[in-house]
Parts: sequence; C-alpha cells; structure tokens
Amino acid sequence: MTTRHLLEVEGLTVHYGKAIAVENVSLAVHEGEWVSLIGANGAGKTTTLRAILGLVRPTAGRIRYRGQEITRLPAHARVELGIGYVPEGRRVFGDLTVEENLLMGAYRIRDRARIRRNLDRVYHLFPRLAERRQQLSRTLSGGEQQMLAIGRALMSEPELLLIDEVSMGLMPIAVSHAFGVIEDLHRQGMTILLVEQNARKALVRASRGYVLETGRIVLSGPASRLQQDPQVQQAYLGM
Amino acid sequence: MLLQQLVNGVVAGGLYALVALGLTMVYGVLRILHVAHAGIYTLGAYLGLVFYSASHNFPLALLGAMALGALAGYLIQRLLYQPLLGAPPLVPLIASIGLFILLGDTYRLVFGAQTLAFRAGVAEPEPYRLAGVAITGTQVLILAVAAALLAVTWLVVNRTRIGLAWRAVATDLEIARAMGVDAARAVGLNVALGSALAAAAGVLVAYHYNEVFPAMGDVPAYKMLAIVVLGGLGNPVGTVAASLFLGLAETLVVAYAGYLLPRDAIAFVALIGALMLRPQGLFARRGT
Repeated sequence: MTTRHLLEVEGLTVHYGKAIAVENVSLAVHEGEWVSLIGANGAGKTTTLRAILGLVRPTAGRIRYRGQEITRLPAHARVELGIGYVPEGRRVFGDLTVEENLLMGAYRIRDRARIRRNLDRVYHLFPRLAERRQQLSRTLSGGEQQMLAIGRALMSEPELLLIDEVSMGLMPIAVSHAFGVIEDLHRQGMTILLVEQNARKALVRASRGYVLETGRIVLSGPASRLQQDPQVQQAYLGM
Repeated sequence: MLLQQLVNGVVAGGLYALVALGLTMVYGVLRILHVAHAGIYTLGAYLGLVFYSASHNFPLALLGAMALGALAGYLIQRLLYQPLLGAPPLVPLIASIGLFILLGDTYRLVFGAQTLAFRAGVAEPEPYRLAGVAITGTQVLILAVAAALLAVTWLVVNRTRIGLAWRAVATDLEIARAMGVDAARAVGLNVALGSALAAAAGVLVAYHYNEVFPAMGDVPAYKMLAIVVLGGLGNPVGTVAASLFLGLAETLVVAYAGYLLPRDAIAFVALIGALMLRPQGLFARRGT
C-alpha cells in the first residue's frame, strides 16, 4: 500500500479514575479513507475519539497524525492540524446563534476572508442554516442541529473528520440526510473516522472497520468482510 | 427628594454592578464561586491609593489599579483554580474563601490595620444642583466610569473573538476546547477582566468615601453573592439589573423606612425572599 497513514493510534489505554475505558487499542486511518468504529454502548468508541482529540489523557499508548506524535499536544492545537469533530448528541452551543456556532468552528482561523469563505461554503451546503443564522441554536430541530454540528466542524477546514453517533436521537429522514452529507464529503476527498452503534449504516460506505467490545478491538478488516462476518451479523446487524 | 434618592441608588447600583459582574462572569466560565473576588476589590482600593498618592492623577490611579488587579485575577486563575478544576466543587470554593482571608490579612500586614484616607487634604467640592437634586463630582465620576466599563464589557463579551470563546466555554467547555479554544488562557483572561472591574469599583469606593481599610471587602463579598444569585448565576445582564435593583432598594428603604432595617441587611432580605419565591433568580435566563 502506498497510501499514507493520516492517523495512527497505537496501544491506546484510557482510564476514568480506576475504571478502564479503552485498553490497548490500535487503529490507523489512511488519507481519503472512511473508517468506521462500531460497537455497543460503552464499548469505548467515544473515549477513543476523545483521546484522539486530546480531551482525555491516555494512560498508555501513542497517537500520531501525519507521522507527528500528538499524544501530549493540547486539544486546541490539534484542530489546527486538521482534525474536525462532530460530537455525539451534536452538542451545539445552545446559547449562541447559528452563525456564532459556526464562527466557533473557525476559532483557530484568524483570516477574516477565509472565515467568510468557509461560512459561505457551509451555508451553501446547508441552506437551512443560512435561513436561521441569527437564531439561537437551541431553538433548532434535532436534524438542523446535526447540520450545524457538521457545519461547525467543517469551518476549521479539516482533512480528517471524527464523527460520533450521527444517528443518535434523530428521525430516520434526518439520519439519511446526515449520512448523505458525509458520503458527499467523503467523495470530495474528506477522510472520515466514524463511530456508530448502527453498524449497517456505518459499514455500508466505509472502506474499513473496527469492532470494539468492552474497550478492546476484537475484529477489524475491510468493511465488506465485516458485513459478511457471522459474529458481526449476529451481534450488530441483527441477522 | 425621591429623585435625589434615585440618583443615589443608581450610583450605589453601578458600584455593585462593577463588582458583581466579574463574579458572575467567572462563575459562568469556571463554575466556581469566586469569593476572593472581593479581595481583588480591596486590592484595587489599596493600589489606587498607592498610585494616587504618588501621582495625584486619578485616571492614572484608576487604570494602574485595574491593570494590576487584572494581573492578580489572571494569576489566581492560573495558579489556584486551574489546578483544582478536576476537584469536587467544594474544594475550589474553600480555596477561594481561604485566599480571601489570606488577602485581607496581607493588606493588614502591608498597609496596617488602620483606615487610610484616599485623598488626604483634598476636600470634596460643592455638589452640582440640578432641579433640586444634589449630585457630587464623585457621583458623576462613579456613574461615568461604571457606565463606560459596563459598556466596554458588554462589547467584549458580545462582539469579540475572546467574548465568543467565553460564551462557548460557559455552555460546553469540552466542545469549546475541541473547536480550538485554549481554555486555561481564555478563562484566565475572563477572570482578568472581571478583576479589573472589581479593582475599579474598589478605587471608586475608596475615593468616594475617602477611606481604605483591610476589611472593606467583607460586606461587598456577601452582597455580591446575594446579587449574583438574584441575577441568576452566570447571567451578566441579570446581574447588572439585580445590582441596580439592590442599589435602589437599599437607598429607598433607608430613606423612607430606615427605622425598619439597616442598609446592609436589605440585600439579604431580598436574597432570602428571592430564594423562597424564585430560586432560579429574578432575572433567570430562558430555558435554564
């Protein structure tokens, strides 16, 4: 393989107090790939993302981005490297307007013209957000908040998007829309690391997948093979 | 007579707002009840006294006290609160109370326990009279400085990049960090601005009453807590409204029903009443 590793996680272990959340997790994401991390609730998917983002300090392991070690880099500096985040439950800033939420996404960018361009791009992608730019984001519907969370992540011009449980708490039509947007972004070259309980949705477009169980990776491989795997079918695809 | 009381009440309310606004801003971003804030108010008064005695230039004394007060606030955040962020909320609260006591005793050691005159030998000029209302130059000064500082604070919070970061941190600290906010620095600057306001209030009060003493922050410490609860914790607009409300209530009650209650008790009657009737604060935000 000649593709470069964009993100490498090696032997990652994270504790919350004495409890172990993630143990010896290794994974890699190549440039332009869509990798899905599936597993049940509490398997350690979100914790893995939080460690990649620098929001939780790992007890062991290394994280590299474009070959550079970022394990000890503060969270705010990782955004500048090109890591964007769409959090579980959307977590838009409810007391801020739609536009202020988007400006927060571009927080590390100082060039006003660039911020303006990114804003136009997001509004073009999600015309609904443009209509509601002065509205407090907590007054948006769940689907609109999901658009805002994705738009906010795009404002920093990421090359790797970490997406946590887009389908959670959304109506099926909003889930389809969100996945449609992610597919478009991926087709245009965005690298995706997606965390999802809904394994069917997560694997159908992914290039590769990892299965997490109680903090450990129990299975990994091309998404098509995981979809055919009897264990995965039984545990996550309800077959 | 009523108009006169209203003027006096607004002046008192403006001073309360300067102190309480910093406290509510710090609570918003840190979720810590920053009791030592009243120690910064006293620090401002002493610093103002030092600068004013040396220069006899009031604007210089005010700005100098605000700058050093801001620095003190920034250091308190970085050295005391930041390391305690993971601890249960009682721990930083106790640390803050401890720091408040430490500051008071430090002023006693450095400047002495006695009350110092702020503007020795400079008499207050005759008040201006307008439609039967007497307003002193100091009162005009307090109103002007308080209004200017509150306006500047509003602009910083609502119209600047760092203000946006503060509001984001107040809503969701973790996501703000993931979006690129250096939280320790942003929160430090927030405490710095709040401390500059408290220091300014200290200078103005010291100038107005012509006295500075180590325990001058004690009563404001209790009152600012009552005000931020009345205003709805972490809500800046509510805090300014509650400050003006308390300033007016105190002045009017003392003027027309002074036999009922001493001035400093009124804040607590209002606090008790509010907690019984509207525990979310008189000016609680929608949806919270």
